[in-house]
Amino acid sequence: MDELEAIKVTFFQECEELLADLEGGLLAMQDGNDDGDTVNAVFRAVHSIKGGAGAFGLEPLVRFAHVFETLLDALRSNEIPGTADLTAVLLRASDVLADHVSAARGLGMVDMDASAAMAAELKAWTDPSAAPIAAAAAPAEAEPEFEGFTPIVIGADDGMDDDDDLGFDFQPMTISLDAQAADVAVLDNVWTVSIRPKSDLYRKANETGLLLRELARLGPIQATLDDSALPTLEFLDAEAAYVTWSVRLETEQGEEAIREVFEFVDGDCELEITRGAAPVADVLASLMDVALPEPATPVEAPIAVAPVAEAPPPAPVAVSAPVPATPPVAANAPAAAPAAKPAQIEVPGPGQSVIRVDPERIDRLIDLVGELVINQAMLAQRVGEYGIAPSSNLAMGLDELEQLTREIQDSVMAIRAQPVKSVFQRMPRLVREVANMTGKQARLVMDGENTEVDKTVIERLADPITHMLRNAIDHGLESPEERKAAGKNPEGVVRLAALHRSGRIVIEVQDDGKGINRERVLSIAVKKGLISPDLTLTDEEIDNLIFLPGFSTADKISDVSGRGVGMDVVKRSVQALGGRISIASRPGLGSTFTLSLPLTLAVLDGMVVDVAGETLVIPLACIVESLRPKAEEIRPLGPTGSVLAVRDSFVPLIDVGLTLNYRDRSPPPTEGVVLLVEGEDGSRAALVADAIHGQRQVVIKSLEQNYQQVEGVAAATILGDGRVALILDVDAVINLRRRGPPPPADPTLIAAE
Amino acid sequence: MTTAIALPETLDLKASGPLKQAFVERRGQDIEVHADQVRRLGGLCLQVLLAARKAWAEDGKPFSITAPSEAFVETARLFGAEGALLQADYQGAAS
Repeated sequence: MDELEAIKVTFFQECEELLADLEGGLLAMQDGNDDGDTVNAVFRAVHSIKGGAGAFGLEPLVRFAHVFETLLDALRSNEIPGTADLTAVLLRASDVLADHVSAARGLGMVDMDASAAMAAELKAWTDPSAAPIAAAAAPAEAEPEFEGFTPIVIGADDGMDDDDDLGFDFQPMTISLDAQAADVAVLDNVWTVSIRPKSDLYRKANETGLLLRELARLGPIQATLDDSALPTLEFLDAEAAYVTWSVRLETEQGEEAIREVFEFVDGDCELEITRGAAPVADVLASLMDVALPEPATPVEAPIAVAPVAEAPPPAPVAVSAPVPATPPVAANAPAAAPAAKPAQIEVPGPGQSVIRVDPERIDRLIDLVGELVINQAMLAQRVGEYGIAPSSNLAMGLDELEQLTREIQDSVMAIRAQPVKSVFQRMPRLVREVANMTGKQARLVMDGENTEVDKTVIERLADPITHMLRNAIDHGLESPEERKAAGKNPEGVVRLAALHRSGRIVIEVQDDGKGINRERVLSIAVKKGLISPDLTLTDEEIDNLIFLPGFSTADKISDVSGRGVGMDVVKRSVQALGGRISIASRPGLGSTFTLSLPLTLAVLDGMVVDVAGETLVIPLACIVESLRPKAEEIRPLGPTGSVLAVRDSFVPLIDVGLTLNYRDRSPPPTEGVVLLVEGEDGSRAALVADAIHGQRQVVIKSLEQNYQQVEGVAAATILGDGRVALILDVDAVINLRRRGPPPPADPTLIAAE
Repeated sequence: MTTAIALPETLDLKASGPLKQAFVERRGQDIEVHADQVRRLGGLCLQVLLAARKAWAEDGKPFSITAPSEAFVETARLFGAEGALLQADYQGAAS
């Protein structure tokens, strides 16, 4: 259901744009630019709204849009002349349509009387003989007529409209209306059902044959098959739907009954139901195949049950420039070829609330702001060198500049921040598919979908998450039988969560499966020669073995995972993002993969410190406090190590200079400054530095891109004086230290990390 | 040389891929399709059969569906594909 909601949201977003297009186009027409393209664009806008609304069962909206569309259709086929009066009516109608859209969205109400009056007025324009325009003014009179019109929610055309009776296409071919009318009179109990299955229909194990059989229960049917879209045998995708059907059905039952047949394939099958036989449709079809090559592409094939799948194309294409609310200009309006599908025409409409901007422009802006930050830091440093008093105007001005710079930066970053929802949304389907393939029962629980992350990070999250989820289901969860035997719910739960933690985004993939089988992992790693057999590893180290390239525990290679490319690829892509991945696993209870990434790849608040003559930046988010240790607080531990007593606990002391190999011997910690830091997993350590320079906002420059990855270092930055400083990776430093004395570090374990 | 394909009982989603493969492998030979076992014919396999039929017509090679089961005939009729699949004088023209 979540998915449907999301699609609905997209539909309403598109409605906004379509309404803007509509209004823009109408205004262009009002200015006298009523060339055919503009009318087409306007028609398409209304048609698309109707189609989408049909898919969501938004009846009042569909009903109104239909009347509107009918008039526009008449206008574009020159059945009625475009006049200033008409345009004014159309503009008013577009307002009513906008009200309907808002109402469907749950925002405000539609004045149904006004709507009915408008509909009547539109009808009057379409068919002047049917109702005098005067009637439009009187809603009471207009109402019955409106009711007489059978609402068809799905984008098919209304049976009452004789001229639409073809029910096949909006071909502006001249077909004698009289003949049509006659047909209808005779064949009242005959329906034409056009069925276009989508590949999903078959994929979900539904079957067109069964639909036809169900239809046959309503009355005698005659199906005509259209295989014109069928590719040649070699190019045939055996699981895709190509063939469509047009079914002539004789039944006393109403349209509802027919529609019910298709209830279960809603969305997977485009459906059009029209009253009356469609002999013409067949002829038309063959004509279109053979005699009329030009209009053969169904330009306006009525978007039926699920137009949503077709709707996206208009969106991302027009990205390249911000669309300001410029007055509508017809000249740039509908340049698209008329034959194109529901081509989105750029008719800038007033009141657009969303601006689409080329991401590159934002990236450029962010780069520039980065430069601004560096520049501002340089300026501050220069000023500091001249020994200007902090209370002077210059220094205060500089402070304000810093404030402003920061605000600009935050605002710019906010432009790029997006909820992780866009990635999470795709996962439920993935879970269903993987569970299906592996014969397991899995339920996905998602948390923190609205956590915002920089767009650059989001884009690169999808692959690792996909891998981790697959892994969790394929390797983590047991089969339903095993679960039952273990006294668990046969349905396994996979939890996907996103949260902010100390200035980073943390993604957790957790399963309640069997946990990592450490014995097996170890034996496989030994068998594959990834580690030497006489090594004694901690549980954590064993868990980490699964990140080794070429490691796979699956007995047999499955379609889903188990080619041994999964986890090491995940690890590499996460590291490339400046992130880390860790596992916590409890036998019988499941495993948790935790992925921690920086929120942005652009800026960072850091503490600038001196270590062995080098300037380093420690991310402020990690620092709990800084202090000068007293001699009695330091206790030696083992031959080289020592711990610091901080209040009621002992924290390992880590000399940054020693860990990064800047020096061979640590000076006494009492001579330096201690920064109490907290790692990703909550573990604390006391980092020893020689001196603190102060807090500064720094622009992150990737070390990997410009040089190579260095352990213990997250990235680099440029300081105010133009020097390059390294940004410390606090977790890595803690882990480096934890692994024991740095010099004889075990190469295998470093690889495993 | 004449080759034959015996259609399985159930021609559903799972059968369509293998069926297509079977036809592709036998391309260029006269073919007999035994449809006596068929109990279910689905839309996807129908597509494969139609495409195969067209392909054989293009090659000018005989393609015949022999001894179709009742279910096969009935479903083909339901699909409106009788003419394309079961009539001997199929010319490969779009129906």
